Amino acid sequence: MLITLNKITKTYQVGEIEIPALRGVSLSIDRGEFVAIMGASGSGKTTLMNIIGVLDQPTAGQYLLEDKEITGLSRNALAQIRNKKIGFVFQSFNLLPRTSALENVELPLFYNSGINGDSLSGRQKKQKALEMLKRLGLSDRAYHHPSQLSGGQQQRVAIARALINQPPIILADEPTGNLDTKSSQEIMAVFDQFNKEGITIILITHESDIAKYARRLIHIRDGQLL
Amino acid sequence: MSLFLTLKVALRALIRNKVRSILTMLGIIIGIAAVIAVVAVGQGATVMIQEQISSMGDNILMIFPGSASSGGLHFGAGTRSTLTPQDAEAIMNECLYVKAVSPMVRAGGQVIYQDKNWSTSVNGVSPSYLEVRNWELKEGAFFTDSEVKAASKVCVIGATVAKELFDTESPVEKTIRIRNMPFKIIGVLVKKGSAAFGQDQDDTIIAPWSSVSRFLQRGSFNSVNQLLVSATSIKTIELAKTDITSILRQRHKLSEGTDDDFSIIDTAEITKAITATATTMTMLLAIIASISLLVGGIGIMNIMLVSVTERTREIGLRMAVGARSKDILLQFLVEAMVLAGIGGVFGIIIGGSTAEIVARYNDWPVLVSAQSTVIAFLFSAAVGIFFGFFPAWRASRLNPIEALRYE
Ligand SMILES: Nc1ncnc2c1ncn2[C@@H]1O[C@H](COP(=O)(O)OP(=O)(O)OP(=O)(O)O)[C@@H](O)[C@H]1O
Ligand SMILES: [Mg+2]
Repeated sequence: MLITLNKITKTYQVGEIEIPALRGVSLSIDRGEFVAIMGASGSGKTTLMNIIGVLDQPTAGQYLLEDKEITGLSRNALAQIRNKKIGFVFQSFNLLPRTSALENVELPLFYNSGINGDSLSGRQKKQKALEMLKRLGLSDRAYHHPSQLSGGQQQRVAIARALINQPPIILADEPTGNLDTKSSQEIMAVFDQFNKEGITIILITHESDIAKYARRLIHIRDGQLL
Repeated sequence: MSLFLTLKVALRALIRNKVRSILTMLGIIIGIAAVIAVVAVGQGATVMIQEQISSMGDNILMIFPGSASSGGLHFGAGTRSTLTPQDAEAIMNECLYVKAVSPMVRAGGQVIYQDKNWSTSVNGVSPSYLEVRNWELKEGAFFTDSEVKAASKVCVIGATVAKELFDTESPVEKTIRIRNMPFKIIGVLVKKGSAAFGQDQDDTIIAPWSSVSRFLQRGSFNSVNQLLVSATSIKTIELAKTDITSILRQRHKLSEGTDDDFSIIDTAEITKAITATATTMTMLLAIIASISLLVGGIGIMNIMLVSVTERTREIGLRMAVGARSKDILLQFLVEAMVLAGIGGVFGIIIGGSTAEIVARYNDWPVLVSAQSTVIAFLFSAAVGIFFGFFPAWRASRLNPIEALRYE
C-alpha cells in the first residue's frame, strides 16, 4: 500500500478553543490511483492533504507512507520525503515571482542531493527541467517569468515543478480553482496522462466536473470520511 | 543546495532590492572604512615618531646636569653646570657598555656668509659626536682632538644651513661668521631629516665644544650643557645607565643618600612612552570607529528581518519542495554575509585610500598592510554572520504551512 492513514485526528488550538479539523480518518490509497477528495468548505480537505504531504503532523493516529512510519521523523527527514516522494500543486500556483519558469521547475532538483546520490550537474538539471516543460507544452515559455504567463500556463509550470523529481505521488489542492473551464480541462488532461503513466494523483476539488476525471471519489464532512 | 547556487540566489535577491542593499552596505562601508583608516593612520603616526626618534640614534643616553628627582629638571647647588668634559672621558674609559661619548655645549645665533644670514643652533661637541649620533659627512672632514684642544674656530654644517647660506656652492673651506666670530667650514653633514616633533636636525652647526664654550658662550670654560652617550646596543642601555650613574656619583663625590646632581634620559625610554601613548590613542579611536560598524551590523539584521518577512511564502514553498532548515538558514546567512562582505571590500578601499591620503599629506609611511586588510574583511564577514544569524534562524524555523499561507 502506498498510503495508509489509521485513525488520524488533527485538532487546532486557537487560544482556549480547540478546533477539530480531522476526526479519526482512516484511508488507504494504492499506487497508481487517481483520487478526488470532495467536501464542503472547512470540512478538512486541506488539512488532510497537508498531513498526507507531510507538511503537517497529525495530533494522533498513524501514517504509513510506502509502509514506513512517518510520525516521529525529524524535520530534515520530512523535508527529504517531500522532495522525493511528493509533488505539490496549489490553487494559487505558488511560483517564485521574478524567477523564470525554468528555474521554478528546477527548484526541487536543487534540494535533491546526498541521500539518493542523485547529484546532477547544473547543465543536466537544466536539461531535465527543459524536457519537463516541453512535456507540458511550455518549451517557448521557459524563460518567461510567472507574471508573463496565463493562469493555466502558470499552473502547468507548477505541475512541471511537482513532477521534476519523479515522485510517486502528486497532491493537488484545488488546482483548477483559479482557472477558467478551458484551462481547467487542459490541466485535468495533464493529470490524467501522468496518472496513466503510473503516478498516484490525489486531488481536492469542489467541482464534480473536475472530480469525474478521478477514478475514486472520497467525500469528507466535518473532519470525517463518509 | 550547493554553496555556489546559494550564493547566486543571495546575489540575485540583493540585486532585486538594489537601493536597499546599497544603503545597508553603506553602514558596513562606513564602519570598516573608519576602523581601517583610524588604525592605519594611528600606526603610521606611531612608526613615524619611532623613526624620527631613532634617527637621533636609538641607543642614545642623554645626561643633563641637575637632578630629576622632583619631576622635571632642576639645578642643584648654584646654577653652575655639574658636568664636565672630563666626565665624558671618564665614562668613555670606564664604562664597558659605551660605544662613544661626546660632551655638548649649546649656543645659538646669527650666521653670516657674504650677504646671506641665517639663524641657527650651534652645538659644541667632540670628534666622537658623529659616532654617537650615527651620522656621516657628505663632504670635507670632521675636526680632530687636537682642534678641540686648541679651540680652533672650525665647524661642520648641516644640510639646511648649507642650502640657506651656500645654495649649490660648496661650503668647504669657506669662512662664515657666527655671532661675528669667523669660523672656517671644514665639512658638510649628510641630510638627516626632521626629528620627532618636527624639528629640523639639519638646521645646525657643529663645532669643537671648546671653541663654542670659549667664543660663543659666556659660561665657565670647563662645564658643558649635556653629555651625549651611545650605548653598545639597545640591550645594554640599562647596564650603561647604572654604570654611568655610579661613575658620575663617584666623580662628583656625592655621599650616599644625596640626590644625583645629573639625570639620564634614554631615547628608548622616550620612544616607549610615546609609542604607548600613540597605541592607546589608536585603540580608543578604533573602538569608537567599531561602534559605527556595530550600527552597520544592526542595519543588516534589520534589513534581513524585513527580507525574511517579505519572503515568507517563498520560504514556505522552498520547504514544501524539500528545502531543509539548514538550506533556508544558509540562504539567508549567505545573503547577510554577501551584504557585509561587499560592504567590507568597499570599506577597505575607502578606508585604505583615506589613510593613504592622510599619510601622504603628513609624509608618513602608509600602513594599510595586507594583514589588516584580511582581518578587516574577515571581520566584516563575521559581522554578517553575527547579525545575519538571528533572521536566518527565524526563517529556518518557520512552519511550512503557515509560511505558505502567509499574506
Ligand atoms: N491553522 C489553523 N488554525 C486553526 N484552525 C484551522 C487552521 N487551519 C485550518 N483550520 C480549521 O480547520 C478546519 C478545516 O480546515 P481546512 O483548511 O482543512 O478546510 P478545507 O476543507 O480545505 O476548506 P476549503 O474548501 O475552504 O479550503 C476549518 O474549520 C478551519 O477553520
Ligand atoms: Mg482548503
